[in-house]
Amino acid sequence: MDDRDLARRNRIYAQLLELGRAPTIAETGADPDALRRLHDEHALVLEPDGSAIRMLAPFSGVATPYRVQAAGREWFANCVWDAFGILAALGVGGHVSATCLDCGDQLEVEVADGRPKPDDLVAHFLLPARRWWEDIVFT
Amino acid sequence: MNLFRSEEHVARWLEEHDYEPGRTLRAGQICELANAWWADRLDPDWRPHTREQNQAILERVGLTGPFWLLT
Repeated sequence: MDDRDLARRNRIYAQLLELGRAPTIAETGADPDALRRLHDEHALVLEPDGSAIRMLAPFSGVATPYRVQAAGREWFANCVWDAFGILAALGVGGHVSATCLDCGDQLEVEVADGRPKPDDLVAHFLLPARRWWEDIVFT
Repeated sequence: MNLFRSEEHVARWLEEHDYEPGRTLRAGQICELANAWWADRLDPDWRPHTREQNQAILERVGLTGPFWLLT
């Protein structure tokens, strides 16, 4: 990633923090080719048709079952790893809400000092690491 | 990576969807991994992690073996 694309990427993440959501394509002010390069370099994930930002990892650009309350806002995460990742990226504690895919129960986790309570919930990685980017939305 | 009530719930979900089991981690370990992987993501001087850096993070939190190899 060259310095100009890195600067574009950093501006988009700054917009995310300012807006409390992923910016629209128009709001980024970036041309489609530049956004596609950032997508190809895994700096962000575009929707397949390029019409919106799907992921600014660990943040999600769309509503998901993984909700994070932190720093006075609610964020959506792409998965449980990313939910904890939002707290790590913001450098704060917070609250993660999710739904158990088996029983449908609401799962609530409080994170302070990088540690979850309760800590007996579990996360499952379905795919091996080498396959994570084959279909990052499924992963 | 999805969150479940317990390993029993993971097993039932895998069976229901006919998925091959992957790896199950406790919430504390996922949190540790998240802290190491994502903590710099909003830093003004952030640079992309290399594959080697990411592999080292996985190793540091005890995720070793073929399943956790990025290539």
